[in-house]
Amino acid sequence: MAVYEHSYKPYEGTLTSAWSRFLVIPRYAYQDLFKYKLFIALFVLCYVYPLISTVIIYLHHNANALAVLDITVSDILPINATFFYVLVSVQTSLAFVFTVIIGPVLVSRDLANNALPLYLCRPFSRFEYIVSKMLVLLILLSMFTWVPGLLLFFFQSYLEGGGWMADNLWIAGAIFTVSIAWLVILALLAMAFSAWIKWRTAASAALFAIFIIPTPIGFIIEELFNTNMGHMLNLGVAFSALSSHLFQLDWLDAKLSFFEAWGVFAAYALICVFMLSRRVHAYEVVS
Amino acid sequence: MSSMIEASTVKPAATQLDWSLWLRQIRAILRIEVKKNFWGKRALLLYLFAAIPVVLMFLLAIVDPNGSADIRNKWPNAQEAFGNIYEGLILRTMVFFGCAWIFMNLFRGEVVDKSLHYYFLCSLRREVLVAGKYFSGLLASVVLFTLTTAGSLFFLYYARGYPANVDYLFDGPGMGQVLTYLGITILACLGYGAVFLVIGLFFRNPIIPALLVYGWEWLNFLLPPVLKKISIIHYLHTLSPIPLNEGPLATVVEATSPWISVPSLIVFTALVLFLASIRIRGVSHPSNH
Amino acid sequence: MHSNIEHRTSQIIFGDVSKFYGEILGVNRVSLAIAPGITSLVGPNGSGKTTLMNLMTGLIQPTRGRISILGISPDNPQELFSKVGYCGQFDSFPKGMTGYEFVKSFLRVHGYSNKVADEKTWRAIERVDLIEAAHRKVAGYSKGMRQRIRLAQSIAHDPVVMILDEPLNGLDPMARAETIRLFRQLAKEGLHLIVSSHILHEVNVMSDRVVLINNGYILAEGGVTGVREEMEEHPMQIMIRCDLPQDLAARIFASDSVVEAQLHRDKQGLFIRTRNAEAFYLLLNRIVVESGMNIEAVAPVDDDLNAVYQYLIGSNGGGQA
Repeated sequence: MAVYEHSYKPYEGTLTSAWSRFLVIPRYAYQDLFKYKLFIALFVLCYVYPLISTVIIYLHHNANALAVLDITVSDILPINATFFYVLVSVQTSLAFVFTVIIGPVLVSRDLANNALPLYLCRPFSRFEYIVSKMLVLLILLSMFTWVPGLLLFFFQSYLEGGGWMADNLWIAGAIFTVSIAWLVILALLAMAFSAWIKWRTAASAALFAIFIIPTPIGFIIEELFNTNMGHMLNLGVAFSALSSHLFQLDWLDAKLSFFEAWGVFAAYALICVFMLSRRVHAYEVVS
Repeated sequence: MSSMIEASTVKPAATQLDWSLWLRQIRAILRIEVKKNFWGKRALLLYLFAAIPVVLMFLLAIVDPNGSADIRNKWPNAQEAFGNIYEGLILRTMVFFGCAWIFMNLFRGEVVDKSLHYYFLCSLRREVLVAGKYFSGLLASVVLFTLTTAGSLFFLYYARGYPANVDYLFDGPGMGQVLTYLGITILACLGYGAVFLVIGLFFRNPIIPALLVYGWEWLNFLLPPVLKKISIIHYLHTLSPIPLNEGPLATVVEATSPWISVPSLIVFTALVLFLASIRIRGVSHPSNH
Repeated sequence: MHSNIEHRTSQIIFGDVSKFYGEILGVNRVSLAIAPGITSLVGPNGSGKTTLMNLMTGLIQPTRGRISILGISPDNPQELFSKVGYCGQFDSFPKGMTGYEFVKSFLRVHGYSNKVADEKTWRAIERVDLIEAAHRKVAGYSKGMRQRIRLAQSIAHDPVVMILDEPLNGLDPMARAETIRLFRQLAKEGLHLIVSSHILHEVNVMSDRVVLINNGYILAEGGVTGVREEMEEHPMQIMIRCDLPQDLAARIFASDSVVEAQLHRDKQGLFIRTRNAEAFYLLLNRIVVESGMNIEAVAPVDDDLNAVYQYLIGSNGGGQA
C-alpha cells in the first residue's frame, strides 16, 4: 500500500512560439554582452565613422554651414561609390574585431559545459541552434555595418533629391550585399572555430590566421606561377574583389573576378557548415 | 592538537645539482609532449601547414613544365625566387606561426585542458619543466620546419637536373647554402620558440602580444638601425644566403656578422628561458587561471 | 630539542596560514598539526577544503603564514612530491593517454627508470583494481574508473603523505568500500592521508580525526568523539530502553550533567540529554545496580560526525550532507 502525493505540476503558462524560439539565444547573449562597459564603449565607437560620414553628407547639402565654416564643396569628400565603399570597409573591419571578441565563445562554452544536450533535448533543432548563434553576431554586426550604410544612403538620397536615388540604387545594393556576405562568412568562421577550438584565445588566433596567412601564400603563388589562383585562399582579396565589382571601383586592384570572389566565399561557407555539422550534436563520441 | 603551531623548521630547497635526474626528467617530459602534441590528430593541421612551401616547390619543379625550365635556364633568378619564398613564406609565415602555435600551446594549452597540475605534482623542479617543455617544442618545430626547408630545397635542386645540381652542391656554394638555410630555420625555431613560450606563460590571452611581435618582425625593414637589432628576423635576415629584397622603403643597415648574430640569438634565447623559469615558479593551480 | 624537530618532520603543519583570492577569503588564520593516519577535511562547498589541500601541495601560495609537510616547504616541489601524492578533483587528463601510460609517464617524470616505473605502475593499477582497463584510453573510462586511475597515479610513487580531494566521488558502493579499505591499510602502514569528503557516514567510518571547516575558518579538529564531547552547548543525546523509565527519569536528575529527559511514546524508554556522558554512564551503572531495573539498550544518538556537522555548520553551511 502506498500513498503518492501528486504535488508536482508541470508548467502551464504560455510558451515562446516555435517560430520565434531561435531568438531566445540572441536575446540572452545581448543581455550578457551589454553588461560590460568596455563592450558598450566599443559598440559606441563603431558609430564614430558613420557619424562623421553623416556630417560630411550634411555639409555637402548645406550651403549655410559651408559658408560658416568657410569651406567649399570641392574641399570635402565627394558622395559617391568610393565614399560608401570606404564606409563599408571601415565598418566591416570593426565587425571583424567584434567577431574576434564575441565569436570564439559562441559554441565552445556550450561544448565545454556539455550544454548542447540541454539545448537540443528541448524542441530546438541543430539548425535552429546554429541559426540562433549566428544571429547573435549577424544582428549585432548589422547594427553598425549595412544598417547605418543604408540609412546614410537614404539620407543622401533625401538631401540630393532629383532622381539621385534611382540612379544610384546599385550602391545601396552593393552596401547590403558586400556587408551581408562579409558578416555571414565572419559569423560562420567564428562559429566553426568556436566549435572546434576549445581555447578561446586559439579560436581568436585562428580567425586572425585565416586572414593573415593566405596573403603571403597568394603572393608567392602569383610570383612563382604567374596566376591569381593563390588569392583564392584569401578572404580579404575576395572581399576587395567583390567590392570592386559591386561598387564599380576600377581603382581597386581586383585580383579575382566577380564569380571567383563569390566562389571563395561559398567554399569557405561550405567548409564552415561541414565543420559545424561534425561538432554540433546532442551527444559526445568517445572512441 | 595545538591551536597555535609554529612552522618555522622548514627544510631549505635542495641545493645540489642533480643533472642526471634532470636529464631523465627532461626526456620523460619530451616523451609525453611529443606523443601528446605531435602524434595526435591535432598535429595534422600543423603538418599540412608546414607542407605548403614544399607543395608549392613540388608544383613548380615537377608539375609546371615552364617552372622547371625556368629553374634550369635562369638559375640565379630561381635562387633569388627561392630566397623570397624562404624568407617571406617559410621563415616569416610558416616558422613564425608554427612556433607560435607549438610553443604557446605548451603551457597555455595545458592550462585550458586543466592537466598542467599533473606536472606540478611531480617531484620536479619547475625550471626542469620549462626546459623539458621547451625542448619538446624545439624538437617538434625543428624537425618539422627543417623538413619544410629541406623539402623545398630538394625540389629546387631536383628541377635544376643532374649533374648541374651535384656540381653546384658539392663543388660549388650549394651545400653551404643548404646548410645555412637549415641553420637559419633552427635558429628561428630556437628564438621564436623561446619568445612564444614566455608569452604563453605571461599572458592569459597571448594573441595581442603575439600579433605585436608579428607586426614588429614584419615592419622590421622600416625601423631605424638601433631598433632593427631588437628583433629576431634582423639576425636571421642578415644570415640568409640570398636575403629578401625589402623594397625601397627599407632602412639600410650594415649586415651583422654571423659570429655576432648566432651567439646573440642563443644568448637571447637563454635569457628568455631564464625569464620563463622565474615566471613558472609563480604559476598557480589551473583552477586559479 | 631533537624530539621537537622529529615531531615537526613527522607532521603536516600549518602555522597561522591565510589565503585570499583578491578580496575573497580562501582560508583564514589556520593553525594545524596533522599526525599520521586518516584526517578528513569536512565542510560545505566553498568552505576552503580544496584551498587547504592546494596550499599543502604548493599549487597555490599562502597570502601569509607558513606550511611544512614533514619538514619540507611546499615551494620545494622536487623534495615535496617525492613524499606527497595528490589526487585532485579535476576530472581532466592529458590527451590521448591510456590508464597505464598516464600513471607510468608521470612516474618517469618523477625520475624513475623505465623498469621501476613499469613495476610501480602495475602495482598502483592493481591496488585500484583497474588491471583489465589499463591499456584502454582514459577518455573512454567511466567516471568511477577515471577517479580510480587518478588515485593510482597519486599513490604510484609510494608517497608517505596522500592528499585526496573527494576521492570517493563517482565510485559505486563496492569500489567505495574497497577504496576505504585501501585508505585504512595505507594509514596502518604509517601514511598521512588527508581526505576531503561530503559523505559523512563514510568519513565517520574511516577517519582517525576530522577537521571541520566553514567559510575559511577551522571550526573544530580532533577525533569525532572528542570533538563531540567538547561541544558543551549541545548536550549529548542518549537513548535508553528499559522497563522502568519513569523511575529512571526520577533518579538520573541526581546528576548535574543531565539537562533533559524525555519519555518514549511507548513508555518503554527514555531520551536523555547530558553535558557529561562519562559521568552519566557511571550514574546509570549505579542506578541499575541499586534499583535492579532491566536495561535493554543504551545508545548515544548524536555522537557521530553527522551530528557534529549539523551542530557546527548546520543548514547555514550549505553543505550537501
